[in-house]
Amino acid sequence: MKTLLRLIEKDITRFLKDKPGFVLTFVVPMVLIIIFGSIFGDNGSPRGKSSIILVDESNTLVSRLIVSRLDSSETIRPVKSYRSEETQKEVKFTETSAMKWVKEGKFAAAIVMPEDFFTDTSTAVKFKFYYDPKNEIESAMIRGDLEQNIMSQIPRLLPVLIQRNALSALGRDSVKTIIRKIGGVLDRYLDIPVDTFVNRTMNIDSSSLYSKSVGTSKDGNILSRIVKFDSKQLVGEQISNPWLTRTVGGWAVMFLLFSLTGAANSLFEERQEGTLKRLMCMPLTRTQILLGKYLYTMLLGVVQLSVLFFFSWVFFRVDIFSNFFNLFIVIICSVAAAVSFGMLITSVAKSLSQAASISTLVVLIMSAVGGSWFPTSILPDWMQVLSKATITYWSVEAFQQVLWRQSSIGPIMINIFVLLTIALLINSFALIRFKKGNIL
Amino acid sequence: MLKIEHVSKKFDELIALQDVTFNIRQGEFFGLLGPNGAGKSTLMNIIVGYLLPDSGIISIEGSVMKPDNPDWRRKIGYVPQEISLFLDLSAHQNLKIFGRLYGLTSRNLEEKIEGVLDLVQLSDRKKDPVKDFSGGMKRRLNLAASLLHDPDVILCDEPTVGVDPQSRNAIFDMLLKLNKSGKTIVYTTHYMEEAERMCPRLAVIDHGIIIAQGTLTELIDLINQKDTLKIRKTPFVQSKIAGLSDLGNIAELDFYYEILPSDDYRLISRLFSRLESTGIPNELIQISRPTLEDVFLKLTGRSLRD
Repeated sequence: MKTLLRLIEKDITRFLKDKPGFVLTFVVPMVLIIIFGSIFGDNGSPRGKSSIILVDESNTLVSRLIVSRLDSSETIRPVKSYRSEETQKEVKFTETSAMKWVKEGKFAAAIVMPEDFFTDTSTAVKFKFYYDPKNEIESAMIRGDLEQNIMSQIPRLLPVLIQRNALSALGRDSVKTIIRKIGGVLDRYLDIPVDTFVNRTMNIDSSSLYSKSVGTSKDGNILSRIVKFDSKQLVGEQISNPWLTRTVGGWAVMFLLFSLTGAANSLFEERQEGTLKRLMCMPLTRTQILLGKYLYTMLLGVVQLSVLFFFSWVFFRVDIFSNFFNLFIVIICSVAAAVSFGMLITSVAKSLSQAASISTLVVLIMSAVGGSWFPTSILPDWMQVLSKATITYWSVEAFQQVLWRQSSIGPIMINIFVLLTIALLINSFALIRFKKGNIL
Repeated sequence: MLKIEHVSKKFDELIALQDVTFNIRQGEFFGLLGPNGAGKSTLMNIIVGYLLPDSGIISIEGSVMKPDNPDWRRKIGYVPQEISLFLDLSAHQNLKIFGRLYGLTSRNLEEKIEGVLDLVQLSDRKKDPVKDFSGGMKRRLNLAASLLHDPDVILCDEPTVGVDPQSRNAIFDMLLKLNKSGKTIVYTTHYMEEAERMCPRLAVIDHGIIIAQGTLTELIDLINQKDTLKIRKTPFVQSKIAGLSDLGNIAELDFYYEILPSDDYRLISRLFSRLESTGIPNELIQISRPTLEDVFLKLTGRSLRD
């Protein structure tokens, strides 16, 4: 038994000395638990609000009620206007402009309360829901949040439905007669004047909001009779493999970061096996050696992503050729940024194992908050801010633009700029570190 | 040929080299002998341009080494102390990679590869991955990789460390062959026997300072030390040794007694007669000439192995 304890003690002593192992054993899982817990758990850190466009073209009492409700929502952030580039003034969204913005990917969804929001005879209230399912989770969550917010107003809408059913079945005069009779009873026992009661009750109707018929609901569900969502997908209807088209970029970027960090870290392996020293004793400059490693890693990344996308096309018909030029530009920019990240890790780490543990930790964090695993819109607000500081976010967004939205170069210019800027800044820093560091 | 002039190097507070100066002639097999940590590898790294000296000048045939001119390294073939090879690649692939980096063209490169593989006797294993090689084979390939570009000077930094005697002899033979073909060889070692065997002229280095340089004879003459007598320790010798104090200064070591004869016993015949008179058999007695170890001991007060 003592021998066994000593053997265990030996392994514990070694484990405590193994900082990279410690990071992978405890720190990485804890960080992931924090990220997942913040999104899906109930730890008092609510997930971030989903921004959607809200257009109220009916401007009725009920629509204002809905607007008010959404304004105070904890899960939806309704955006009603935008700043015009021409006039530099705030302009209210219309149904047309809302659809345009969703199509361009600036918002995941728009909810429109049209002019016939309250006058459509088929339902109590009617919404138009335009969405871009660039990510199913995000779309489903927005739709769910919207319905939850709107349904919470149903008790207020129920009388409207009852009245509409009565008017439809009995006709306006009969209803008025019934109300008058009820009013007579109230007048007798509660001292409420009959005319006042009739006018008030029927005045709901007099706002020209009531329909002649309830209309038909396919499923006959009471809720669907009250609230009608006309949903319309604005982007990606023609895409043959929507799920993979939306997600392939995220997975590709994560594995790109892993492989390129590993490739950059091979400088440590070369140092350990002595070949780096041999290279440095040959007629080569240190800059050439570093640049050679950089260009090789770039090449590896471009080939890796190209193969991954080609594979997706061959086996799952992900359309990579309709917008190939822009896809290739995004590949180049993403790889440039990912390589610089790998070089940075190599320049700051002191050993291969340290570099491996740092890169695993950082790549997993970037993948989680940057949009490789789930849309950033479902992250808590602070994580959404953090996500924009990751290479993953800008790469994944750019891949979605070119694959899912088939965007031209214009909408991805910002992504290209950010990725190349990240690459430039990180490379400069890494170069300084390499000069001061001990690897070269 | 190769001139090292007043080279100094410090690592923080540690003085690695201090005012090191020596010349190596064209076609010479020059040794640099010193214990571990004496500064041999630092000097090699400076000569090849891997490290920069804090001060001093290094030149080959008048061409001065400059840090911004890596072409200078084409004149040098550096054999690092560590095995510096891509272990998962074959011998041929390794040589091809290094040859290309030296700027050899494809046709010329293949000829060179075949040539160096022949020299190090690895032609029949050229397709095998280096990781499958024995320690000695790796060492030989390590040497071959430094010869591809036909350098004028070959720097060998302890090329036989961890090598079995047979492979060590093979490496010696290769280096002597290269030296005969006109290559200048600088050979660092902490093995006195290697230095004595291989290097007609050498420098002894300790704590970053060249403490002596010259031919083997010159170095031994430097310490002005007589031959010593070694008598193997046996119970009989132990019982007699006290009575031999007139022979000279006696030092008791692990397995033998070492006697530095006094002037009265400088004649070998007289010495042996005296020993015979005590009954100590001749087979227990050995006459030992001064070695580089003695030179080092005398000059530094320490053993090379310390």
